[in-house]
Amino acid sequence: MKRIFAAIVLWGLLLPAVWGQATPLQQAEELYRQGKFSAALSLYENELKNTPNDPYVYYNIGNCYFKMGSKGLAAANYYRAFRLAPRDADIRHNLTLALESGGERLVPAGIPTVLHQAFFYLSYTEIQGLLYILLWLFCTLASIWLVKRKLGRLVVTSAGLLLLCGGWFYLRHSLESEELAVVASPVAEIRSGPGTNFPASASVAQGHLIVVQDAKDDWYEVIVKSQGIKGWVAKDTVERI
Amino acid sequence: MKKVFLSVLFFSLAAAAWAQVSITARVNKTALTLDDELTLSVEINGASGNMMMPSLPSLPAFNVYSREIIQNTLNGKTTTSFRYTLMPRFVGKATIGAIRFTHNGKTYQTDPITVNIYRNAQGVQNAQPAATTAKAVSTGNYDSAVVKKAPQKADPNLPPLERSLANQAYARGDENYFLVAAVSDVNPYVNETVSLAVRFYYNRPFYDAPYQKPSTSDIFMEEAGSSQGTQSIGGVLYRYEEQRYLLTAAAPGKAVIGPATVRYMTGSSPLSALDRLFGGSLVQAEETAQSEPITLQVRALPTDGKPKSFYGAVGDGYTLTAQADRTEVEAGEAVTLTITVKGPGNLKPTADLQLPAIDGFKMYSTQATSGSVPASNGQIRGYKVFKTVLVPVASGIYTLPAVAWSYFNPAEKAYKILKTEPIQLKVSPSTKTGAGIDFGAADPSNGFQTLGKDISYLKTTHAPAPGLLARLSTWQTLNWLMLAVLALSVLFASVGRKSLAQKRAYAAAKSRLKKAQSDEDVADAVSGYLQQKLKISTGSLPLKAIVKALQHRGITPATAEAFLLLWQRLDTARFAPGTPDAQNVQHLAQQALDILKLLEEEAK
Repeated sequence: MKRIFAAIVLWGLLLPAVWGQATPLQQAEELYRQGKFSAALSLYENELKNTPNDPYVYYNIGNCYFKMGSKGLAAANYYRAFRLAPRDADIRHNLTLALESGGERLVPAGIPTVLHQAFFYLSYTEIQGLLYILLWLFCTLASIWLVKRKLGRLVVTSAGLLLLCGGWFYLRHSLESEELAVVASPVAEIRSGPGTNFPASASVAQGHLIVVQDAKDDWYEVIVKSQGIKGWVAKDTVERI
Repeated sequence: MKKVFLSVLFFSLAAAAWAQVSITARVNKTALTLDDELTLSVEINGASGNMMMPSLPSLPAFNVYSREIIQNTLNGKTTTSFRYTLMPRFVGKATIGAIRFTHNGKTYQTDPITVNIYRNAQGVQNAQPAATTAKAVSTGNYDSAVVKKAPQKADPNLPPLERSLANQAYARGDENYFLVAAVSDVNPYVNETVSLAVRFYYNRPFYDAPYQKPSTSDIFMEEAGSSQGTQSIGGVLYRYEEQRYLLTAAAPGKAVIGPATVRYMTGSSPLSALDRLFGGSLVQAEETAQSEPITLQVRALPTDGKPKSFYGAVGDGYTLTAQADRTEVEAGEAVTLTITVKGPGNLKPTADLQLPAIDGFKMYSTQATSGSVPASNGQIRGYKVFKTVLVPVASGIYTLPAVAWSYFNPAEKAYKILKTEPIQLKVSPSTKTGAGIDFGAADPSNGFQTLGKDISYLKTTHAPAPGLLARLSTWQTLNWLMLAVLALSVLFASVGRKSLAQKRAYAAAKSRLKKAQSDEDVADAVSGYLQQKLKISTGSLPLKAIVKALQHRGITPATAEAFLLLWQRLDTARFAPGTPDAQNVQHLAQQALDILKLLEEEAK
């Protein structure tokens, strides 16, 4: 009886403390609201270790960087979030703003926003999952047709859907295979070779999207997507996505 | 009556005294050295109206360098002072003769003044007590070379520029006119301001001396004022005219400052009133004085540790301040932010400050102005002022962040970063309706106005778990395994279907034979059996080939013979049809069934 009583008392003391303790996300939000973006960023980065591939944590990290003035790093983290959760309106909005601050566009010129949204309606993994489902469907219907010579039209329809999904997946896979990076320092100089002894041909402001093609020592060979310029930039001036 | 007479007498005497004209001359010293200057002051009292200049006597022992006229009128009485600066030319006793002045047809003159000119200060000290009675210590070798001293050295405590100029002058003390030039630092950094001074020394009169400044390449040069002075060189007093410049090299490497040139006329101008008075000589010749070219070795600024806020300033003692013209405004009202950089040298060549975008404010382009003001040490101090207009788009408490500006300190060979203090602005909601600033494209009349753009707020939870589609993609191995199982089952199903068809061939043929109504039905049943069971197409093969195929499948010759007879009969029935006889058909069907049974048993 005494033990039960002691246990009840102990829980009575501990529970309020457990309930009253703010989660890391709550603490980070409070710091963010107070304008302590750097401290909030540290908490979110810690949280990312516990929940990797959480698009919301990437999004919040992007917000902290944005408020700290690092639009390039903000864009990199928004992009990571966008890849994981492309239908989220907040992520799309913030990514668009971060890219626009560097003179970039999320939706390429000449392409309707609706089409872009449709193309990125599903994430890469979701398209992969859909592809598996359609493959399953097609194989099942084809099996029935082979055995029973029935459901021929459904087999053709499922084959068409499978091809469409395969094309979609191929296009998205091509984009996912690009080693994207964002200019993270205020300005990155594009040089004709991997070293400061090579002359700079252009400068790119932070937030610009670049595609990494090669690496040599402390330099990346890149293509600036919006300008089509190819050259070398110092590794410490860009952030890989 | 007596009082009236006394008054008239008093005023008459006073008027006579008032109208009296006098001239006096005096010198500031009667004993001096060759390095000294003598000031001769001539004062005329009581002369008014158009006044003639006093007539100086011939002064062979002096060079007259300047003349100054000062006129004062007090209570209607005019006093005019003429002050001449004389420079002794040689050692000995010199007499300044009577100075004459004519006014209203009457000539006034001063008494002669005698001064003693000594070689050095020691002589002056010895002679000082008996200055008025001193005799000439030299009867006159008037060549300055005779009194030239051994080459001198400048005071080592002088700044490098002044020391270099003085030493160059000492080295050229045997010339009467010469031009020297020096810089404060021959090894400056890019954008570091260096002083250049050009001095024209002379100890004889000259006139009409056009000056050509030094030429430069890859160097920004700006004039920084001129001055005069004297320097004793070998016991001879030289005067000099100095012109200063500020130089800023734009690129590392060698930079050459070309020679400066002065073309001067020796002797005296025939039009000079002073020289007419002094009985100077006529124009002798045109001469040229030229300074030596100077080579600067300009050093590049180090790239290591160069801050992003470095705009090219090199020097020390810079200050950076930021100021907002007001700190409490309404949304939509303009605030002028002024950032001022001050420091040594010229700030014009430095790049303009790049202000980052400030959240919550519409920013206009930054306007920069620069200039320079003279400093107390003979240098100049530059300044650069950046002004930008900020318009808060919404109410709230905002903090304009600190602005960084860096410079390179050549003495410490390091970059230094200056930062302004953050400025807090209190923005209250706008009270102006209908006249607000429209930051967006929306029509204010519909009650909606875009004030600005900002990122969306944080996500306060973790993202929801991935959906079925996303999870399916993670089961890649399972998916491929399942697909393989499906493919295998399809394969087996397909093969099994064929096997089943084979197994069912006899039953199907038996069923069809039982239902046969004509010889053709019997033939079709047999053909079907051969097709399904033995894969023998009866339509495309001749009878012999069919029999051969049957034998190839292990059919005994007897059975093959029986099949041959059956097929011939069926052919006869098909190609020469008569009236169908149900009994014959049944008989033929039974015969066919018996043969098929044999085929079923014998076929492999």
